[in-house]
Amino acid sequence: MNWSHVYLIFLRELRDQLRDRRTLFTIVVLPIVLYPLMGMVMLQMTQFNREQPVVIKVIGKERWPSSPPFFVDSKLQPVGIKGAETKSIELRFEKPDDQTLEQYRERAQYELRAGEYDLLVVIPDQFDSEVADLATVVDPKVAEKLLGDETGEVDLSTIKMPVLQIFSNHANDRSVLAEKRFSHFLEFWQMQWLQGQLTHHQLNPKLVDPIQVENCDISPPATRSAIVWSKLLPFVMLIWALTGAFYPAVDLCAGEKERGTLETLLSSPADRREIVWGKLLTVTCFSICTALLNLVSMQLTASMLMRQFAKVGAANILETLGPLPLSAIGWLVVILLPMSALFSALALAVAAMARSSKEGQYYLMPLLLVGMPLVMLPMLPGMKLGVGTCVLPVTGAVLLARAFIEGQYHEAWTHVPFVVFVTAACCMLSVRWAVRQFESESVLFRENERFGLSSWIRHLWRDRELTASPVEAVLCGLIILVALFFGRLLSSEATLDWPSIARSSLMIQLGMVLAPCLIMATILTRSLRQSLGLNIPHSVDFVVCILLAVCLHPTYTRFVWFLEQEYSLGADTKELLQYLDGVITGAPLYSVLLVLAVFPAICEELAFRGFIFCGLKNQNGTLRAILVSSIFFGFSHGLLQQSIAATVMGLVLGVIAWKTGGVLCGMAFHVTHNALSTSMPRFIRAEHPIPSSLEWAFSRTAEGIDYSSSWLTLSIVISIICMVYIATRKERKVPSVESSPKAFDVPAGYKLST
Amino acid sequence: MIEVHSLTKSYPDLDRGKFVALAGISFTAQAGEIYGLLGPNGAGKTTALRILSTILKPTSGQVRVNGFDVVTHAAEVRQSIGFVSNNTAIYDRLTAWEMVEYFGRLYGIPRADLRNRMESLFDKLRMNDIRDLPCAKMSTGMKQKVSIARAIVHDPPVLVFDEASVGLDVLVARALLDIVAKLREEGKCIIFSTHIMREVERLCDRVAIMHRGHILAEGTLPEMADQFGQADFEELFFDLLNKHNQLHGVTVA
Repeated sequence: MNWSHVYLIFLRELRDQLRDRRTLFTIVVLPIVLYPLMGMVMLQMTQFNREQPVVIKVIGKERWPSSPPFFVDSKLQPVGIKGAETKSIELRFEKPDDQTLEQYRERAQYELRAGEYDLLVVIPDQFDSEVADLATVVDPKVAEKLLGDETGEVDLSTIKMPVLQIFSNHANDRSVLAEKRFSHFLEFWQMQWLQGQLTHHQLNPKLVDPIQVENCDISPPATRSAIVWSKLLPFVMLIWALTGAFYPAVDLCAGEKERGTLETLLSSPADRREIVWGKLLTVTCFSICTALLNLVSMQLTASMLMRQFAKVGAANILETLGPLPLSAIGWLVVILLPMSALFSALALAVAAMARSSKEGQYYLMPLLLVGMPLVMLPMLPGMKLGVGTCVLPVTGAVLLARAFIEGQYHEAWTHVPFVVFVTAACCMLSVRWAVRQFESESVLFRENERFGLSSWIRHLWRDRELTASPVEAVLCGLIILVALFFGRLLSSEATLDWPSIARSSLMIQLGMVLAPCLIMATILTRSLRQSLGLNIPHSVDFVVCILLAVCLHPTYTRFVWFLEQEYSLGADTKELLQYLDGVITGAPLYSVLLVLAVFPAICEELAFRGFIFCGLKNQNGTLRAILVSSIFFGFSHGLLQQSIAATVMGLVLGVIAWKTGGVLCGMAFHVTHNALSTSMPRFIRAEHPIPSSLEWAFSRTAEGIDYSSSWLTLSIVISIICMVYIATRKERKVPSVESSPKAFDVPAGYKLST
Repeated sequence: MIEVHSLTKSYPDLDRGKFVALAGISFTAQAGEIYGLLGPNGAGKTTALRILSTILKPTSGQVRVNGFDVVTHAAEVRQSIGFVSNNTAIYDRLTAWEMVEYFGRLYGIPRADLRNRMESLFDKLRMNDIRDLPCAKMSTGMKQKVSIARAIVHDPPVLVFDEASVGLDVLVARALLDIVAKLREEGKCIIFSTHIMREVERLCDRVAIMHRGHILAEGTLPEMADQFGQADFEELFFDLLNKHNQLHGVTVA
């Protein structure tokens, strides 16, 4: 690759974008202006909240107890409670006119809605004397109960309580505000009244609040302010990184197609890879700039705003939402670089498909839909850096940055290699995808052809190939996943005995996994043998695969055990799994092997390594086929722990399918693996002793049996040898039937025109 | 200079299954010669020339430009070719000078040489008054000049003009033809595709008549007149098209 070409293209695209007003607006102007404007609006809103006076109508002010004072000169007392100024409440008094509560309600309903006032307070007749009674008269029976019978329930309902009636309209914000302000004063008055009573009865007034709690937060202030920001900022920053990547990407791909300059560039000495890299650098540059500008602008505005809030009384706000320390911003920038590169490559690949800028805009939504969950996942409560979460693209990087910001350095550093590896792999894959998009003539020179359902169906039938197309393969995978989702929901209602478990398992395997792929293979391809990968393998490969399955099993069980430690199963699920284990162990071995080992292996291999793998492998997509088929395979397993383990096994099976040129070796591997997994629980029980000839491979543990460590070590060595053998063997090319018989000398496209 | 042998190109097509754009065409063109590709829209001219300039890959057949194969030595082919088509637009947000300079540098011309080369090019094509004008503000004629300057900035031995005169007014089209003729005098090998017969008669040394992916006839104009017994080139052209259509059971509207 000629880097001077890349550099030249990068410089030109950068200049081009900087001369584009739309790009400049979204990337520079918007973030600089947006947050200060939002801050201004927020300040004004709070001002409005504080200074807006509310009107409270009080009926029967005279009935309120005289001491301590509450209504004095149309002001609520005491004056000067923090957070509620009397001037923000306008009181209107009215003499009581002996209406019933129901009548007051009706009146309030009408007048509150009409906006005559925001709150109606009705003080009933005898209110003051009832309050006074409360302080003096205690029913002797109740007193006896309260003091004597410690265990019995005290019935306080016999004490008549004074009732204050407040009518509000919660559909109106002002009314809610009025209620809040009034309650604030009322609470304070009650406290004063209670303290007065205690003093009167020669008791300590502090009894109102008998225990004083002293809170001591030992986290350093910097970390405290980081905790909120470290959750929020990566989200905001990455969303902007994605948006900032997308618009330039659309302009650089679809825009160039639209303006007709793409062909000019393609005919220049720069090759496709150099063009993609040049454009990628430009897009990444803009993505980083957008995210950084937003970050800085948001931080500046927020810290100014918080300082303002702190001045007006909310001092603790600075502790939680104060400005972020510089080191935290540094860590955010460190994760921003690879994330921007990743998003840019994805945006570029997606945008390359669009014929026009307008069409390009439509692709933003799907990209956001894929990106958002990964960015939002770290914001979920309880999500923290772990072996499981750090291997998720984007999520892992965000969690890593958070761990660094929060000062958990040891935990962070141990996960750095995983995050770096996953992020680098994702970046490479997406760049590769973008380059492929640019190398694909059908993507670059996509004509505006009219899409018709009937012509599309005709095309599907007429242009069938030996194997499925990549799109059909992905579709098959999606259909299987959807079918499995519904199938599992339906079968979960079945009873939990072996015959019904076996029945639902067979129904799921045959109906939800095998049927879709068989139907699609029959309709959409010209050769069942080729599209399902049913080729006779070499006998050596076959044996090696069975050996590999046996030898990989100890490692696999350790891996599954590790996953279960990392993601502990819920108690219900654990119980269910244990129960199922019991049922399976109790069932006859031959039927267990048939239902749980042989059938799933045949169905799943035909679907995932047959139809889906062979379809995805078309058009030089071996890597794509291995990755995507294993992801589908993983998702087809119900539990998260199983899914992760199955995805990893799917990778091994993918390589086997690729190198051995068919599904049969994979089936042998799969049957062996499942047979070992399903029969292992049997040996845990004493009534099935381990055969003496195999004792060396097992060790008894507290929970049952496990592979012995000597066999584990040996098996790893043999597995590596087997895997190296398979990985380095020459790919077995399957002799294919002569493809499409159409000859070139009859130009198609001849239509009888009138 | 250019050797095309049994070149085919087909695309998947939703309506028609496999669409064959080029059905095995062969021709050669030499240095100092203008080779015309004449044919109606959809004849396959653009596809053939895109393959020549390595933008598309052939389905089968061999194409060599200046001795380099377009599939195995695409980079060398791009270095020795200048491609102007009505699909190769120029960057709106660059000035004429920046546009030509950008491509010159992509071709790897050293800065000092590039400057001299561009000065002489801008003089030759009379582009000095639009040197600092953004391309967005140019007329179609000016844009075409920038396009040509961009295509010949690296002084390639082979030039491809694909329907380059489409959309130009009479004056600009005439100027374009003059430039092409001058380039031939400089010893360039030029492929000139068009559907305008006048341009072929005026300019081309040899012509291939293309229709639906086939070359129906090839040679100098007098050779073809002799071969088909028709002196009027326009009549000859329509006769060939009709004959081909009848042979394949298609009627032309």
